[in-house]
Amino acid sequence: MPLFTVSKPIPSLSYTMLNMCTCIVALAGPGDKSSKPVRSHQMQPQNLPLLSPQKCTLGCPILDRSLAGGIPCKSITEIVAESGSGKTQLCLQLLLTAQLPTPLGGLSASALYIHTEFPFPLRRLRQLANSFKSSYSNVFASSSFDPCGLIFVHAVHTADQLFDLLLKLDSVLENPPTESPVKLIVIDSIAALFRSEFENNSGDLKRRSSLFFKIAGKLKLQAERFGLAVVITNQVVDVVTSSEGINGLRIGNLENLYSSGRRVYPALGPSWAHCVNSRLFVSRDEEILADHVRSGEYVCRQTRRQLHVLFAPHLPVSSCSFMITRDGVVGVER
Amino acid sequence: MEIDTLPISASMRGKLISTGYISLASLSSISPSQLAQDFRVRESEAVEILKVASVNGRVGNSDGFVAGAQTAWDMLREEEFASRITTSCKEFDHILGGGISCKEVTEIGGVPGIGKTQIGIQLAVNVQIPVDYGGLGGKAIYIDTEGSFMVERALQIAEACVEDLLGKGTAWKEFRASQPKLSAKNLLGDIFYFRVCSYTEQIALVNYLEKFISEHKEVKAVIVDSVTFHFRQDFQDMTLRTRLLGNMALKLMQLPKKFNLAVVLKNQVTTKYSDGSFRLTLALGDSWSHSCTNRVILYWESNERCAYIDKSPCHQSASALSAVTSKGIRSSTSNCSRIKLM
Repeated sequence: MPLFTVSKPIPSLSYTMLNMCTCIVALAGPGDKSSKPVRSHQMQPQNLPLLSPQKCTLGCPILDRSLAGGIPCKSITEIVAESGSGKTQLCLQLLLTAQLPTPLGGLSASALYIHTEFPFPLRRLRQLANSFKSSYSNVFASSSFDPCGLIFVHAVHTADQLFDLLLKLDSVLENPPTESPVKLIVIDSIAALFRSEFENNSGDLKRRSSLFFKIAGKLKLQAERFGLAVVITNQVVDVVTSSEGINGLRIGNLENLYSSGRRVYPALGPSWAHCVNSRLFVSRDEEILADHVRSGEYVCRQTRRQLHVLFAPHLPVSSCSFMITRDGVVGVER
Repeated sequence: MEIDTLPISASMRGKLISTGYISLASLSSISPSQLAQDFRVRESEAVEILKVASVNGRVGNSDGFVAGAQTAWDMLREEEFASRITTSCKEFDHILGGGISCKEVTEIGGVPGIGKTQIGIQLAVNVQIPVDYGGLGGKAIYIDTEGSFMVERALQIAEACVEDLLGKGTAWKEFRASQPKLSAKNLLGDIFYFRVCSYTEQIALVNYLEKFISEHKEVKAVIVDSVTFHFRQDFQDMTLRTRLLGNMALKLMQLPKKFNLAVVLKNQVTTKYSDGSFRLTLALGDSWSHSCTNRVILYWESNERCAYIDKSPCHQSASALSAVTSKGIRSSTSNCSRIKLM
């Protein structure tokens, strides 16, 4: 049985101390960034009509239309798909489009890519960066500008390492190393961190789910405080149970999710689904083009990829087809 | 308690008794201006006297022998006039007895993506429907713990609400222009939006609510979305979590009675292992389930959103279909859009 360290749980504030903190905060004036448990400016309601939601474009107007502008900031968006569907391609594309200036739909920002599985696809990123630079040559003034210079990459292998990284991230977010602050965090993929360390009994599952909320809580805090867009990818598992009724596990607009002809379900269960704000599903199907079918000989297959909105507080249900080209992910009009 | 036992000045007491106001019941139907006129006192003093009288003896209730007690009859009459906030879906309103009650805590739970945040935003907008249009004309407090509140969606729902109220078409455009206050932007401006990012912030804010609401008496709805998120992390001491939740529940339960507003709490679901199978239940455990007066569970049933009253002291268990449209929560348009009694 692999040994793993359970991360430090929240330090328990004694009950009376908590009450005292509340009183102090309610009376306090403009707060400073010291270790007060609650900043007093949080006790002021935010002015809603002035809040303008910022989004990061995906680089393609068809995909952006499905998402009402792109990936929203101050929110966690999850992309669920089986391997080879294109989630990493979408993430790499976002790492580049985040650098675009705001009028073009970007965030004028650098990005952090946290990967957990295979080695980082550096060659593909360089390929995308080159075509990105040539498509937006009028935007990026100097020819020596390298989009890869604004992309920070870090590998983690366990959930604890991820949480430690997030703790260290606070100082980077407050004092950005380049003139573009970090505004996009991509975690690819979250499932890999949790699938090997935890057994399938209720104790481990409970411990696993409290880690979900701890990581998501920290990410949402940073997203809110620094205006970040967070994208997390997740894998799928095969499923046979029903998704109906009051005990059903259906989550989202689609009754059933299909990919490569199999019925699938996002990994990590319903607890993790509570941790994200929006969930997108990429399905992948092999289509056989009918007129080329010949018995016994080759068949012409085409991979059809679709981006579905499973749930999002600001989006209606929608699906959008896309292709992966040399220059990146491109939406396809039906 | 009679007039001579009221804590008011002796001269005022003398005046009241000499004019014939001996019992508190006699003060029950008098207005402050009339009292001021009769006794040639300032209206502010008259208001004070009536306030003291009502606090000390429940003016209008001659049977009350315990200070602050009410008869059940008075409570029934009060409840008939109790305000309710519509959910914009007739069937949902029906199973709730007319809408979300303004004197109770209602909990709404369900799987992610079923529409809990949508209901929250719809209620935050609907509580502001002016009294002239059959609403409460109040303001809302929206406590966002998860970051699910999207301003553009709230704007969309507010615009649809304004359109539904004022009507569409050119004939109504002049009418709309004459109602400048009823605009989507103003509706948004009257939602007090708080974002909390940790459980300590959440508790501090709930403790602060009483002070905030007493300074903003127009608030008629407090929506917390969701009450669960920050409490599902690992607590070193589970009894601490239970205590914190219990205290938070107590504070939240005091708000409706004191300020006559609705408290709507969103909850998440978790799987519980019982009888050899996994069942979905609302999160936060059994002790939390006692904290809310009403419990509504949302779930999917043949591609429709279903709302089910799980617990309510006055409504029977029933379910209703509803839909989430671009305008917000509305009635479901399916053919079998009936209310099912369980």
